[in-house]
Parts: sequence; C-alpha cells; structure tokens
Amino acid sequence: MHGRDLGVNPDDLVEAPEPEQEGKQEILENKDVVVQHVNIQGLGRTKEDLLGYEISDVFHAKNLIDVMKKAHVARQKLLRLGIFNEVEVLIDTTEGADALPNGLDVTFEVTEIKRLTGSYNTMVGNNEGSMVLGLKLPNMLGRAEKLTFQFSYGTKETSYGLSFFKPQPGHFERKYVADPAPQTLFPLGMTSHTLKWEGVWRELGCLARSASFAVREESGHSLKSALSHTVSVDSRNSAIFPSRGALLRINQELAGYTGGDASFLKEDFELQLNRRLFWDSVLCASLWGGVLCPIGGQSSCIADRFYLGGPTSVRGFGMYSIGPQSEGDYLGGEAYWAGGLHLYTPLPFRPGRGGFGDLFRTHFFLNAGNLCNLNYAFRVPYILWFDIESVMCAGEGPRAHLQKLAECIRWSYGAGIVLRLGNIARLELNYCVPMGVQSGDRICDGVQFGAGIRFL
Amino acid sequence: MCGLPVQVVCRANAEYMSPSGKIPFIHVGNQVVSELGPIVQFTKAKGHSLSDGLDDVQRAEMKAYMELVNNMLLTAELYIQWCDEATAAEISRPRYSSPYPWPLSNILAYQKQWEVRRKMNAVGWGGKNLEQVYEDVSQCCQALSQRLGTQPFFFNKQPTELDALVFGHLFTILTTRLTSSELAERIKSYSNLLSFCRRIEQTYFEDKSS
Repeated sequence: MHGRDLGVNPDDLVEAPEPEQEGKQEILENKDVVVQHVNIQGLGRTKEDLLGYEISDVFHAKNLIDVMKKAHVARQKLLRLGIFNEVEVLIDTTEGADALPNGLDVTFEVTEIKRLTGSYNTMVGNNEGSMVLGLKLPNMLGRAEKLTFQFSYGTKETSYGLSFFKPQPGHFERKYVADPAPQTLFPLGMTSHTLKWEGVWRELGCLARSASFAVREESGHSLKSALSHTVSVDSRNSAIFPSRGALLRINQELAGYTGGDASFLKEDFELQLNRRLFWDSVLCASLWGGVLCPIGGQSSCIADRFYLGGPTSVRGFGMYSIGPQSEGDYLGGEAYWAGGLHLYTPLPFRPGRGGFGDLFRTHFFLNAGNLCNLNYAFRVPYILWFDIESVMCAGEGPRAHLQKLAECIRWSYGAGIVLRLGNIARLELNYCVPMGVQSGDRICDGVQFGAGIRFL
Repeated sequence: MCGLPVQVVCRANAEYMSPSGKIPFIHVGNQVVSELGPIVQFTKAKGHSLSDGLDDVQRAEMKAYMELVNNMLLTAELYIQWCDEATAAEISRPRYSSPYPWPLSNILAYQKQWEVRRKMNAVGWGGKNLEQVYEDVSQCCQALSQRLGTQPFFFNKQPTELDALVFGHLFTILTTRLTSSELAERIKSYSNLLSFCRRIEQTYFEDKSS
C-alpha cells in the first residue's frame, strides 16, 4: 500500500541525515565562538553600568558550552542583585553587517521588580515574639539600592527601623548598609569582618510601679553612639544542627568617642566546636564570654550590661535571672562567661526519618556560667589605645576579676527535644536541673520552653 | 517642717524616675511617692502631719488656697518658662537640654516645650499674653497677702501645708533668673509675703548650713 506520494522516499530520509547530524555535533562543541554582543532587554529604571560588571564575563567565553556556562553564571549574578523578578537568557548567532561567521549574541531578558513592596510577618527572637510590618523600595535609584522601613511590635520591645543598603558595583560581597547604623561587611581570607557605626536613642522606663529603685534610677533618655567591629570565622556545615566545624565570633564595641552619653568599651566572644560521634550523634561544646569597661568615671548603664540565664543561655534559670539583683529585678553584670556541652542525637527510633523527623533532635546538655560586676579601684578619665592593659590592671586587676568569675558558678544539666525552624531558629523543650544556685537567682527547674536564634 | 530627716538629691532624669512623671517625689525605704498631695497623705499615714490642729472649715479653706496656688502660680511659672519665646530660648531650653548630648538635647527640649504649650492651650492659657499672666499672678498674691495679714503663718501660729507650698513657689520665683525681673518685682510689692518667705527660709533652711 502506498500512501500519498509526497515526493520523498522514506528510505532516503532515514539514512541520509544521520552522517550529517553527527558532523554538526562535532562542529558545535569544538568550534570557537566569539561573543559579539551581550544585550539586556527590559530595563526600566536600572542603570546599565551596574549590570556591566555582572555580565562582563560572558564576553570571555571561547566555545558554545563555555558561553552557556558563563551565561548561566551571569544570570545567577543578576538574580542575586535582588532587583529582577525573572531573567531569561537567549543565545543566538549574530546577524547584521558586522556579524562574524562564528559570532554569537547573548540576550538577557529581564523583568524588573515593582517599585514598592510591602510585607507583614511575625518573628520569633530570643524568647520574645513580635509582629513586623515592612515597606521596601528595591532598586530605588537604579543601582540596586534598597530602602527598607520596618516597624516591629513585640512582647518586649517596640522599635522602628529605617535601613538603606547599597552594594558596591562590581563587588557584591562588599556592602554598604545604613541601618541607621552604617556598616561595611567584607570578607578577608577565611574571616568575615563587619565594621559598624551605630547611633541609638534609648528611652528606658519602668514597666511596673513596683520596679526596684535601682532600676528606676536608670530611667530616662540616653544616646549611644558606638563603633563596633566583629570578626567571625564559621566553618560549620549548618547554622542550626551542625555536625562538624567551628564558629568563632569576636565582637568589640567602643562607645562615647563619637558623641552620645554612653561611654564604654565592650568585648564579647562566642566559640562553638562540633564533632560527629558514633551513630549520627554530635558533640557540641560552646563558650561565651564578655567584659564591659565603662570609660570616664561613670557607671555602666543597665541597657549595656550583660545578662545571663534563661532557655537560650544557662538553662534551668529564669530569663536573665542570674547575677546582681535588687528587690527581684536583675541588673545585669559587667563581665560574664557561659559554657555548654551538648550531645545531639536523632529522635529515638527515628520516626519520620528523611522528612519531618529530621527537624527534631534530642539533646543532653550541661550548662554553666557566671555573671558579676567589676569593681575598679578608680576610674580612668580617658583611655589611650596602647594603655588599655594598664587601665585594666589599675583596678582590682584581672586576676581578682577572674577569681570573682570562678567562684559561685551556676550550672545545670538536663535533656530535651529541639526543633529546627528554617535555618535560623530553634524551639526547645527541656527538663532541667539547676545546680549551684546562688541567693537571688530565679530558677526554672523542671520543664522549660525556649525559642530563639542564639543558644548556648 | 515636720522635723523629718530628708536628703535632697538632684538628678537629670528625675522626671522619668517618678512613677507619675511629676516631681517632686520621695524615696522612703522601698516606696516611691510622687507629688505633694500623695506625699502629705503618706506622711500623715506614718503619723506626721502639719494640719492636725485645724478644724474642718479651716482645712477646707486651706485646700481652696492650695488649689488657687496650683492653678495660678504653677501655671504662670510654666507659661513664663515655656510659652514666652524669649525666656524659652534663652533660659529654659538650654537648661532643660544641658544634661544630654546633641542632638538629643534639642529634641528633648522642643518636645518639652510642645508638651507644655499643649497643656497651656488645654487649660485656656494659650491665648494669654505676658501682661495678663503678670496680672493673674498679682491677683493671686493679693489674695494670699490678704489671708496672711500680719500673722507669721497662714493658719494660727503653726505652719501648714499651705505655708510649705506658697513658700516653695514664691522662693523659686524670687530666686530664679529670668529674662525680666517683672514677676519678682510684683511679688516683692507685697511686703508681708516677702517677709514670710524670709522668715521660713531662716527658720527651716538656714540653720542647716550653719
């Protein structure tokens, strides 16, 4: 049976093109190409010079596979700027008067983000919850600047924030952020540094009429203008349940030399080491510590001091309920240390393995810590940078301070279940046994619930 | 005046420390009590009172005069300090903002000024000018002067809360530096009030320093 005669012999069709196709494939892979034009279509308010850095690499591609790889990388970079909703890549041969035989045109078709976006979300911090309303203007002036206004209303704190973000063109990792604290973040080898200036207008008030007089004395307005520097080295494989790696973060803050009436030097550090043991369990050791030195003869402000205790630090004690107190209100301290030893294991019998069950861990912990105020025999009216050692020794001396921190240690042990929320937060339900309780501390023995971001 | 030991402490954040936002306040043991009325009641509950010797009619009269002083003298003082632009700019704002660093000092001083002006509008003094305020103060002083007469104190021979309150206001007006001494002059024109202030100062305050 013959079908309609289309004038084409089916045998010819099957055999003839094959050798041709193989020949074409060879040519495409090895052929040298030159990228002649890279276009970006769909730009509205974005300025082109900003994008030049992200797409410049595409010009260096030598063959077709390379062009595709580099175009893909450029697309990722464009998306990372945060100013486009969608980026599509089109690779085509060049046409036109100046077209080379092996010339290629790469076109990025982009859709820009809207000028104004709003957001409403709830946030969980260290044992407090809040509702956050945000208003964002992405790509305000065409160079990926972002202006964000945030209003946060929470159980403990109400705050307003205006933040301005501008990346350095060409070096997206180096950012300039004004929050309203201008800061720059830059990586340096393995470490990541942040240098920040912060200006804060604080108004402290008593929440209850029965607040102790020591707390009442601190009410009122103050202005803190501080420079701070943070170094962090993080080789962990995950922020929440790391199974290996270490984290070291050192932060120092100097207030008072750039205005304001809070004047102090504050140092604190955080160290965490993780090691995988038998059967998927992880041993984690962490150490926190900090010191606050007021400068210029005034005593430290309650808002700057360190606090210890609660489900996010030394478990088994009430929130921030360790250390110097007055009539039941805790005043915080000028020096502290806290350490924890944890053993994380997957849930017994591993229910929900590979899915929901992986978000949980059981953990056994041992926490210890201490908090105290430092007494300097006399306060120095100024600090010379090279003289810090002698200032610290001028008072009771570092030896006496270390001794104070080493006596009357509070510690606790227990076990519990931890749930991971996203990659940032944790919920914990623990059974704790506090020990080493000093008079004045408020304990929470038995079951304690905690939610937060930063845990000991 | 009750003969109780007291220590006066000046703090920049006294207004914020007070549980009701108003000064003066006292800190006794564990308790903090603010404003004259509650302080008087507090000391009375502890057994010390200046007005025990008064009968009900006199007590009512005393309360009426104290209200007069609060409504007139206190409001006039606030008006002159914060609503008169010359005084506010030269004296009140610099003094109020002195404990704070810039720019907090400017913000807080202006906040206080707006707050006082709102209050003045609320009590109906917003539309008055300086002359009318001085007139009101004069009238109030005249009423007090008539009540005082030639007695050493307002009621009998013993000081009462009214004496304490009047002394507090008059002494402050006479000793505070303002852009013009018109207010002090008007008070000095009532000689018995002037000698009343001197007498109380000498009896209760000067022997502390001697």
